[in-house]
Amino acid sequence: MSREQLARRQAALIAALHGTGPVPDGFDERLVRAAADALARKRAGAVAMHWPQLRHEFGPKWTDEFRRWAVGRVGHGALRDGWDFARTYVDRLGEGARLELAEREVVWRYDGVRPPRRRWAPALRRVGRTVLVQIGGRVLRLGRARV
Amino acid sequence: MVPHGVRLSLGGADPVEPARVAHLADCAVLTGAPLVSEHIAFVRAGGTEAGHLLPVPRTWDAIEAIVDNVRRTQAELPVPLALEPIAALFDWPDAELTEAEFLIEILDRTDAQLLLDVANVYANARNRGTDPVALLDQLPLERVAYVHVAGGSERDDGLYHDTHRHAVPVEVLELVRELCMRRRPPALLLERDGAYPPAPELAAELDAIADAAGVERITA
Repeated sequence: MSREQLARRQAALIAALHGTGPVPDGFDERLVRAAADALARKRAGAVAMHWPQLRHEFGPKWTDEFRRWAVGRVGHGALRDGWDFARTYVDRLGEGARLELAEREVVWRYDGVRPPRRRWAPALRRVGRTVLVQIGGRVLRLGRARV
Repeated sequence: MVPHGVRLSLGGADPVEPARVAHLADCAVLTGAPLVSEHIAFVRAGGTEAGHLLPVPRTWDAIEAIVDNVRRTQAELPVPLALEPIAALFDWPDAELTEAEFLIEILDRTDAQLLLDVANVYANARNRGTDPVALLDQLPLERVAYVHVAGGSERDDGLYHDTHRHAVPVEVLELVRELCMRRRPPALLLERDGAYPPAPELAAELDAIADAAGVERITA
């Protein structure tokens, strides 16, 4: 197996583990699927640490909900995975998780494709009766948050 | 303090990223570490991060790639590098070497030390129905820099997962004993990545490891 072949086969294995490609020939399908599942759990745990309010919102269903969503999606690290997940389910989220999301949205510009970049301009988001304002990188909460 | 696991992807087909190696070297200097350690695994390919430590094929070509990456890393490090074999649920097909042969070849050609994780040895053996003690007998124990000990659990898939979030099972402690009977490593370290138990439980676990290793307890 040449270096190029090795690179291709490693990429194919990662795709299988992310659920974006088939299990490559010769591998034990059951075991690779078990590893894919373990990876999704691990991603759920890492996202939970970056997005505590989001995780809190789903309670004991968190790991299963996140795994269901994560299979078939290439991971981009806990910050972005949680961000994408939160945006997908924003309508289902309570105030705590929506504030957590909004706080990041006012500080960072994130198009869902490229890594988030810090905003240079002020930004504003409204969550229920709370308004989040970012000026010069600082976030102000106006109004009462009912967390 | 030993900087450990900075996602070098030593087992990747691509050369190690110089910035990551430099970061590891900086960490070693800042912490005054006597050595640093990294896994024999790949974590990215084709620009995609796996998010997991993944096994490499036990082939001569893969050894070439790993040895090349280890040497590139060692060239920039101010301290020795220890390599840790990982726990993996599956293997690549068409292995050309046994686990021990594969590790010895890499260690011999790079002069790296071995970071032996007995929980990984246990997990791999249990999930494959092989004898973990037999592997200990084949490894160059005089090259062990230190030892990892960790807990795990069996999930509904019938496999043992090295979670670092559960108590250390007696079988892993038994492996610590078997190892230390053969040759006592310079140090042992308990890995725990979450679901932290109350302090007394953690202390009891450290004591159990010390007792199994036949070394003095550190919790008193």
